[in-house]
Amino acid sequence: MRKYMAVFRGTAMVGMIYRFGYFFAILGNLLYIGIVYYLWKSIYQGRETLRGLTFNETMIYIALGSTVFFLLKTYSDWIIHYEIREGIIASYLIKPMDFQLYALFAVLGSTAMNIFAISIPTILFMIFVLKISFATGIGLLLFPLSFIFALVISFCIDFFVGLMGFYSESVWGISSVKEIILMFFSGALVPLQFFPEAVRNVLFWLPFQAVFHTPLMMVTKPDSGLATFIPMLAVQAFWTIALIVLTRLFYNQAIKVLRISGG
Amino acid sequence: MRTLGEYLRLYFIIEAQYIKARMQYRADFIISSLGMFFTSLVTLSVFWVIFDSVPDLAGWSLMEMVFIYAFYMLAISPMQILFDHFWQLRFHIQQGTFLKYYFRPINMMFYYMSEMFDLKGLIQLVAGTILLIYSATQLNVDWTFTRITLLLMTLFSASLVQISMTVSAACAAFWVIDSYPVLGLAWKLREFSPYPMTIFDGAFRFAFTYIIPIGFVAFYPSQLFLRPNEVTPLIYFSPLIGIGLFALTYWIWTKGVNSYTGTGS
Repeated sequence: MRKYMAVFRGTAMVGMIYRFGYFFAILGNLLYIGIVYYLWKSIYQGRETLRGLTFNETMIYIALGSTVFFLLKTYSDWIIHYEIREGIIASYLIKPMDFQLYALFAVLGSTAMNIFAISIPTILFMIFVLKISFATGIGLLLFPLSFIFALVISFCIDFFVGLMGFYSESVWGISSVKEIILMFFSGALVPLQFFPEAVRNVLFWLPFQAVFHTPLMMVTKPDSGLATFIPMLAVQAFWTIALIVLTRLFYNQAIKVLRISGG
Repeated sequence: MRTLGEYLRLYFIIEAQYIKARMQYRADFIISSLGMFFTSLVTLSVFWVIFDSVPDLAGWSLMEMVFIYAFYMLAISPMQILFDHFWQLRFHIQQGTFLKYYFRPINMMFYYMSEMFDLKGLIQLVAGTILLIYSATQLNVDWTFTRITLLLMTLFSASLVQISMTVSAACAAFWVIDSYPVLGLAWKLREFSPYPMTIFDGAFRFAFTYIIPIGFVAFYPSQLFLRPNEVTPLIYFSPLIGIGLFALTYWIWTKGVNSYTGTGS
C-alpha cells in the first residue's frame, strides 16, 4: 500500500505545480456556472418547479455537477493511451506494481488536489454570489461514499477506453464518443428528471447515471430518505464491482498483444 | 512575397499528400466522424429534453434553436477543417519542435495550419448544411438572392470570429507554454454560442457581444433570417468584426512567434 501512496503523493504534488492551470480551471468553472444560471433561469421563467425540481435544486445539481465533472475528468484515458502508444507502459510493467492500481492512485492524487482547489471556491461562489441554499439530510452523509463509487466507475470507464490504445490509433474518436454519451446520459448536461419517464427507467440501470446523477441527488435532495438512496447506492456498488472485474479481464487480454520496439 | 494563387496551389499539394497519408488510418476516420456526429446529436438531444418540459426558451422555439445550431455547425467548420492544428501548438512549443516552422520561405501561420486538414470536419459541414436547409424549410424562411448573399457573408464572418477566438487562445502557449487552461476555457465558451444571447443580461451579454464575441458565431447572424426586425445593427458590420478579429489574432501570433525562443534540447 505504501508504494501506491507514493504515487498518490506524486500526482498531488504535480498538481500543485500548475497553479496557473488551477486559476483558469476555477475561473472557467465559475464562468460556466454563471452561464448555466442564466440559461436555467430563462428555462424556468418564473415557474416554481419543473419536473419536481425547484430552480434552486436544479442549480445545485448543475453547478455541483460541473464541479464533480472537473474532479472526475482526469484524462486517464488519454494518458494511458499515450503511455501505450509511446511504450512508456514498459517502465511500469517492470515495477512491482499493479498497473491498474498505479493508474487509480495517480487519478486519486490529482482528484484530491482538485477537491481543495476547485470545489471550495465553487461552493462559496454558489452560496454567496448566486444565493443558493443547501438543504440538509441523510443524503449528505451518504455523499462521500457515493462519490467514491462514482470516482471508481468513472476511472474504470476511462481505463477501459485507454486500454483500447492496444488495438486502435484513434483515441480522439473513442474518447469523445465516450465523453459525450457519459455527459448526456449521466445527467451532467440536463438533470435526469427532465428526461421522459421511459428513457429514465432505462438509464437507472446503466453505469452512466451512477457517475453523476446519484451523488448529485444526495446533495440536491438530501432529505429523500433511505428508501430512495439505498437502491441507487446498490446500483453504484454493482457497477463498481462489475467494471473492476471487466477492466481487469480486458487488461489481462490486452497486455498480451503489447509489442514495444526500441527503447 | 508570394501571391495568393501560389499559396492556394501549395495548399492543394500539401493537403493532397496529407489526405493520402491519413487514408492509411481509415478506422480512425470512421471513429472520429462518429465522435463528431454524436457530439452534434447530443446537443440536439439536450434541446429536445429541455423543450420536452418547456414550450420555448426566452421566446425561441425548438425549430428556431435547431436553425441557430445548424448555423453554428457551419460557422465552426472552417476552424475545424482548416485550423485544427492549433490544438497541437502547445506541444510543439513545449517540445521545441515548433522551431522547424521558422525555416521555410513561406508564411508561418499558413505553413503551420496547412500541416493538418481535418477530414471529420467535412462530415460536420455536410450535416450542418442538411440541418440548416431542413430547419429553414420548416420555419418557412424565404430564400431571396439578398438573403443567400447575407447568409454567405455572415457565415464567412462568423467563421473568422470562431477561428480568431480559438487560435488566439492557443497562442497563449508562446508565453505560458501550457496553454491548455486558456484553450479549454475558450473551447467551453464556444458551446454556448448557439443559445439566444437574450437570456443573458448585464455583464454577460456585454462580454459575449464585445469582449468574447460568441454572439457573432451563431445567434446574432441567425436573427437576420429568423427575426429580421429584432436584429442588432452591429450584425451589418460583422465582416468588419470578423476581419478585424482575425487581424488581431494574426498580430498576436506574430508577436508570439517573434518572442518564442525555444525550450532547449
